[in-house]
Amino acid sequence: MPIYNAPLLAIDPKETRRYAGLMKADTFDENLILEACQDGRLLAEPKGVWELYDYDCDTQTVKADPPFTIIGEKIGKHLACCDKVILLSATVGDAIEEEVTARFDRGEYAASVLLDASATTAVEQIADGMEKAIKPKMAAQGYSMRWRFSPGYGDWPLDQQPELVRTANATAIGVHLSESKMLVPRKSITAIIGLYKEGTGTSPLKKGCASCTQKDCASRKK
Amino acid sequence: MIHIFDGAMGTMLQDAGLAPGACPELMNLDHPEVVEAIHRKYIDAGSTIIETNTFGASSLKLEHYGLADRVEELNLAATAIAKRAAGTRAKVAGSLGPTGRFIEPLGDLSFDEAYDTFHEQAKALAKGGVDYFIIETCIDLQEMRAALLAAKDAAPAIPVICQLTYADDGRTVTGTDPQTAAIVLTAMGASLIGVNCSLGPEELIPIVKTLAENTDLPISAQPNAGMPRLENGETIFPMGPAEFGSWAPKLLTAGATYLGGCCGTTPEHIRALKSALAGQEEPVRPPIPKRLWLTSRTKSVCIDKELPTHLIGERINPTGRKKLAAEIAEGSLLSVKKEALGQVKAGAAVLDVNMGVPGLDPVPAMRRAITEIAQITDAPLSIDTSDAETLEAGLRAYPGRALINSVSAEDERIEKFLPLAKRYGAAILCLPITEDGIPKTIDDRVNAIKTIVTAAKENGLKDGDFLLDALVMTVSADKDATRKVLDTLAAYRRVFGYPSTMGLSNISFGLPNRPLINSTFFAMCLAAGLDAPIMNPYDEAMMRALKASAALLGDDPRGFAFSKDEANLAVPKKAAEQKTTDLPILEAIKQAVIEGEKDTIVPLVVQAINEGYPSDDITNKGLTDAMTIIGEYFGSGRMFLPQVLLSAETMRAAFDKIKELIPAAAKAENGTVVLATVKGDVHDLGKNIVSALMANSGFRVVDLGKDVAPDEVVEAVRREKADICGLAALMTTTMPQIDKTIEALRAKGLSTPVMIGGAAVTRDYAKSCGADHYAGNAVEAVKLAKEICGVA
Repeated sequence: MPIYNAPLLAIDPKETRRYAGLMKADTFDENLILEACQDGRLLAEPKGVWELYDYDCDTQTVKADPPFTIIGEKIGKHLACCDKVILLSATVGDAIEEEVTARFDRGEYAASVLLDASATTAVEQIADGMEKAIKPKMAAQGYSMRWRFSPGYGDWPLDQQPELVRTANATAIGVHLSESKMLVPRKSITAIIGLYKEGTGTSPLKKGCASCTQKDCASRKK
Repeated sequence: MIHIFDGAMGTMLQDAGLAPGACPELMNLDHPEVVEAIHRKYIDAGSTIIETNTFGASSLKLEHYGLADRVEELNLAATAIAKRAAGTRAKVAGSLGPTGRFIEPLGDLSFDEAYDTFHEQAKALAKGGVDYFIIETCIDLQEMRAALLAAKDAAPAIPVICQLTYADDGRTVTGTDPQTAAIVLTAMGASLIGVNCSLGPEELIPIVKTLAENTDLPISAQPNAGMPRLENGETIFPMGPAEFGSWAPKLLTAGATYLGGCCGTTPEHIRALKSALAGQEEPVRPPIPKRLWLTSRTKSVCIDKELPTHLIGERINPTGRKKLAAEIAEGSLLSVKKEALGQVKAGAAVLDVNMGVPGLDPVPAMRRAITEIAQITDAPLSIDTSDAETLEAGLRAYPGRALINSVSAEDERIEKFLPLAKRYGAAILCLPITEDGIPKTIDDRVNAIKTIVTAAKENGLKDGDFLLDALVMTVSADKDATRKVLDTLAAYRRVFGYPSTMGLSNISFGLPNRPLINSTFFAMCLAAGLDAPIMNPYDEAMMRALKASAALLGDDPRGFAFSKDEANLAVPKKAAEQKTTDLPILEAIKQAVIEGEKDTIVPLVVQAINEGYPSDDITNKGLTDAMTIIGEYFGSGRMFLPQVLLSAETMRAAFDKIKELIPAAAKAENGTVVLATVKGDVHDLGKNIVSALMANSGFRVVDLGKDVAPDEVVEAVRREKADICGLAALMTTTMPQIDKTIEALRAKGLSTPVMIGGAAVTRDYAKSCGADHYAGNAVEAVKLAKEICGVA
């Protein structure tokens, strides 16, 4: 059960701006963004965990005990030709979330939304840091990594979240599901990374925003 | 002399029959002849140092195979095999690999557990008689620190080779760059510093160069045979022996005199390497200047008389700060962390950390503070304590090279602090105080420093480990206090050449206008050679003095940075941008709302009321008009949500002021809206935004919060006689609760219009679930609400 709370020395203001839906807002005060990033860093408690499994891409089965069969055509295609997968979970903890709420209650609407965006950025950065740690380990065994994919995107139903939480061993870092299958703490992710051998095929999906159907999302990358 | 390591062991063992998934180290017992044959092949190929087959022979790694209790047996067996194979032809290096786990706070392994694991293995290797320890393939500097300490404790006479593994961005996985690694590991007493694995030889060249520029120790390099790929189920390293060997002279030129191979290399690779190095001259490495370097895990800072001033931030210190002390005593480090980030932002390059709170055990407090501060900033830390145990807790936890604040010429400090400085590779701040107190003369101060430096060097510290404090006294008590400091600075430079520091503010004690005295004194000290003041980086007068001094003393050549600093311009740029004040008052209010100028709105509203405008006019022609324009801007993509929210805050501030001054102005409401995030959904930021904007637009909002059951919604809609019921859900998993809530409303005969929204909610979904309206965003929701209530 590898626990890796990837270092998070700073939260990226550019990504925070994007998650806040401010990509085109050239005049928006950069100081407010920077403040949100600094406050986010102050409150974030970065944590991460991952597990490695064999994977059968024909049946879309993660060979955990008990096995986990992935539902969804797109995710199936994305993991085509992968014979191992990594299940991971990352979180920034509760404190940042509490402050987002407290700010809103105090009428600091914008600061609340910006802190929320910095928390989103932070959790992605933690997952990026984990990938950086995982990559050389996998490369040493001859494996390359597909980009990480989370349920709720494409046609991978969120109903499978319990299986991701289980196989990623997310509870080891305090991430669990609410009754309605939402991740708690809120700013947490679970994801899968397919491992493949070079030259055995590629994912037909477009990476990142391009693969998402939410075309009018304010954070969509051009 | 050029030394040749061996190549890979694991792949050779697999070729010789090691089953996939089996423990490679168990071969030392089950098939010693196989292991010995591999060693012999490498020695025959030219290896002058072979590595024991013990890379994973630590209890934490052997645990995977149920062999955790056989650490000594396996390491002794491996050493015996290697020594037998080596005879007098080669030296034997005892290999120690990483534990596979990360050390706290990056992982769940404690520093002490890691230390114990390495200590146990190193003890066994030493017992077996290895000539070197080689700690290799480490991706985390903190794990390397634990292993190096353990190896040196287990057998102080055996040289330790420390090899980290770097990723293709030139840093280890946990962010350490080779310069920082070289500084930290040299200071901690490594015998050799190097790099292995992960990358091919070409990629290691710049890393080797950087290492060589930052240590006088020999450098080792053991690259992979290129980057691996899988073919027919087998991991292939693409680089053949000839190509591998061809890189050896370049690695040598870069500074590596201990060369070998890692993954994918074979005796043939080593043979090629050896032959490529035949007749090659060892590179001449000029000794590196002995400068004072401090590091965090990921960054190095140099304090030196030839470099611009660096500030040491003094604010993480509860002494005389009741609120901070109380917070620390309660176990919260939030303000401490705030001070850390704030000081770095204000210009501090190093942060002093003092955890002296009366009644609080300083040892765990320091350990935690150092750990947590190091997690959020890359500025190196200074550990400020007078207690040796507290100091050690901080030094142990710190994944870098810290500064010890401070070592005086008093016996106890010298006896207890200096060995810790050496052990953990820390630099020391030297304070010229003796058993007899503060020396009266400059000579006596110099002598006190000499006492410390001499003792420090006896403990193994070197030039580059010292920062000298010029000891500031109060000028109101001693008219010569300033002169003494300036003369001390000059004497330090003349006698020692080490960089200097001081806490400045003591000089002005008892005088009026202390900022003026402090900043003037500061400028004098900078001119006299002060290198790294310990000060409050938020102090504007001091920061101005620093910037002006930098321009005057040439640290800021021709005052370029000084000229660009807005604070120094006759007409601040910002002044030209203030536009709202020149407008007619209602127009100014409107503009302030649109621009989200929360600070200017209240005076504008007060001014409008004083000028006799009725509150209705202020509201309608100022605020409501602004909101209409904002809605248009938002709809056309000229304004974005956070900007709308800033406007909303501004508007709320205006409303609050109007209500405060003219209580009768509390307006009739446009209508009542009951809002809820549905059952099971805890993501309510979107709903909160709708709530805020609705309230600003004259609606009475009854916000039921998140995770609200259908019954509660029904009850509230009935009780409040709602005109609109707004329901939000973020995720596809919680959206069906919208349907259920609408069903419940209708079942109770309530025909209240229902408006829904949320990230995953669509117009189509709204139709299918029986909602009356769909709002794609908060601004749209307000517009719809106005239409529904007929106030548009």
